[in-house]
Amino acid sequence: MTSPRSMRPRALAFALVVVACLAGIAGYARHVVHQANAPAATGAPLAYAPLAAVPASSGRPFALFRSTALGDSYGHVTLARLDDPAGPRQFAPISCDRVHYAAGAGVCLVAERGALTVYRAILFDDRFAIRKKLDLAGPPSRARVSPDGSKAAFTVFINGHAYSNPGFTTRTSIVDATSGASLVDDLEAWPVVRDGAPFKAADFNFWGVTFAHDGPRFYATLGSGGKTWLVEGDLATHQMRVVAGDVECPSLSPDGKRIAFKRRETGNAGGRILWHVAVLDLASGKVTVLASETRSVDDQVEWNGDDEILYSMPLDSQQSAAETDVWAIAADGSKPSHLLLPFAFSPAVVR
Amino acid sequence: MYQLDPKRLQDLRFTRIGGMAANVYFLGLTSMLTDVSSEMVTAILPIYFVFAMGLTPLQFGFIDGLSQGVAAVARLASGFAADRWRRHRDVAALGYGLSALCKIALLAAGGAWGLASAAIAFDRVGKGIRTSPRDSLISLSAAPERLGMAFGIHRALDTAGALLGPLVAFAILATLPQAFDLVLVTSFFVAIAGVAALLCFVRDVPTPATPAATRRLPAIAAAAGLLRDARLRTVTAVGFLLGLFTMADAFIFLLLQHKLSTKPAWFPLFYALTSLAYLALAIPAGAAGDRFGRKRMFLVGHGLLLLAGVDLLVVDANVYGALAALALLGAYYACTDGVLMALASAFVPAGVRASGLGIVATANGVARLFASLLFGALWQARGMTFALAVFSVGLGCALLVSIALLARTKKEPGSI
Repeated sequence: MTSPRSMRPRALAFALVVVACLAGIAGYARHVVHQANAPAATGAPLAYAPLAAVPASSGRPFALFRSTALGDSYGHVTLARLDDPAGPRQFAPISCDRVHYAAGAGVCLVAERGALTVYRAILFDDRFAIRKKLDLAGPPSRARVSPDGSKAAFTVFINGHAYSNPGFTTRTSIVDATSGASLVDDLEAWPVVRDGAPFKAADFNFWGVTFAHDGPRFYATLGSGGKTWLVEGDLATHQMRVVAGDVECPSLSPDGKRIAFKRRETGNAGGRILWHVAVLDLASGKVTVLASETRSVDDQVEWNGDDEILYSMPLDSQQSAAETDVWAIAADGSKPSHLLLPFAFSPAVVR
Repeated sequence: MYQLDPKRLQDLRFTRIGGMAANVYFLGLTSMLTDVSSEMVTAILPIYFVFAMGLTPLQFGFIDGLSQGVAAVARLASGFAADRWRRHRDVAALGYGLSALCKIALLAAGGAWGLASAAIAFDRVGKGIRTSPRDSLISLSAAPERLGMAFGIHRALDTAGALLGPLVAFAILATLPQAFDLVLVTSFFVAIAGVAALLCFVRDVPTPATPAATRRLPAIAAAAGLLRDARLRTVTAVGFLLGLFTMADAFIFLLLQHKLSTKPAWFPLFYALTSLAYLALAIPAGAAGDRFGRKRMFLVGHGLLLLAGVDLLVVDANVYGALAALALLGAYYACTDGVLMALASAFVPAGVRASGLGIVATANGVARLFASLLFGALWQARGMTFALAVFSVGLGCALLVSIALLARTKKEPGSI
């Protein structure tokens, strides 16, 4: 039998440790809150105004994106004019983790974090009215609207609890951008042809759809056995064929002649994977790597006209993706990259 | 000053709460805090890796495979070390402490995925190190006829922590979006509190000194000596055999997700419901094992897993079928995880308890890892229904063999 007295010093020591731990957590939380409230470190504070509707595409091109500037606009779909990227911004009443928009139709992928985090795709119109909310099977990754605004595609990660084997899989779906009706529930169900022969493996994953400007065609990444391919799919025939190897997250140029994508470089830089932006000429098969951007680009890039490519980049490689900027680089690699839109992520260009 | 009064050091072992040694509750408290800490990180890890660090799914999978083998070795070695030095608590504290440090290392790693994978691997090693000495302490603290109950209490507290962890993480992220660093810092401090609970309240249970001659033997030889006991050999073999046909919950969740593909929002619920069933049944199952025989309970548990497999094969895209499968899975854990340790404890002398439990747990763990690889391969080659069918038939056969094997061993001490 123990005496209560022998218990006391231990209970006291434990209580002290618990108090110290709580103080540590509270202290760090204060630090985080303080940082979040601090004004942006770089440049003048951006001016914001509310945005009720997406302007009709007139002479002035603009980008819609997710704002990553800490403050009221954080996470909101935001508009900036591309002829005055440092000028005033307007923020829409919806927040997204990933957003894309074209011709009056938008798709917004969002994680509603809670005890049970729910992931949704929200289809919206040019007045940010919600057309449809769709449940997603996992955290959002890529989103695209077809140039004519009729279709939307998105990729999510489906994570098997990763004890040993299942690891990650992706799931890519295409829906009608107006009604939300499913056009393709999961691309993995479609047959793939490579060099004229059927191509099939159980570990097929598809991600990063980009739509052709007319008709039912689209491109996407096929991943299997650690390799990636560019596939071309057809919504009319429900078939895909392999176009090229070593292509991730394709993005079709407005003229429909080139695919910009991220290419994984062999080896890695300082323990990190390195992806370069590259451009594939579909007619000749020639690949131009835009190596003047030496940082790793992990994004499905967006074309700004036929000559420039936009992509997101974390503000600071050591930091979380809470703050990202959008950079631009000439599609032929003739000029080095430059910062286009600070505090922006997931841009969609409307010209 | 540290006061070395053996009488004082022992008192907590004899303190009883509801007839159970205080050590068991405090080990449960430590596990609960540690699980809150680790599960809050696990819950955000996929999001953190993919969004904050820009890792690819492939790399994430690679990290996982690497650390599993190292952890198995650590579990064996720590069991031997704990017995050799007769300091179970301190070896366990080393494991808990290592895992706590990994939370801070993960924060410091920032975007360098090499460092981050090292932190996760060492977290697994920490788990490997603490498991054998901790289970051995539980078994040494409880009366032999109440071993199942003791492990049940511990596993229930442990599972409660696993359920709480994600809630804490998401509460933080709901208040401060993107504050992954705060989640990691909180996780670290919660883990430290867990280590403090261990060091402040848990006391080693004196075990008879290993004879000098034995002590000089290499650890492996001592372990081989343990396996000369036919009963422990049988338990190890049965644990290994049944482990070979155990479908990992990861696969069961994936299967359910395929079946209920119209309701993807259900996915995070699978884990929570399984844990809830485990939490609710851990103590009753342990007590039932004490009363009706732990061997029987262990077999019944695998029978429940078989039922879950059959349920998944037969019932089609049905919410009730899914709920039944998850409840069965939770019940399987309740009837097997702690029960196997309680069962084995009866056949291992106190002086080499941690080594013996380490061997049994590792044999079972290695078999389950192999089962996961096999299940994955079958799934890829012939589809999920085929894999599930093979495993159900295999588990059924393994159960029959296990019943025969266990029937031949003598009744365990302390059970009817």
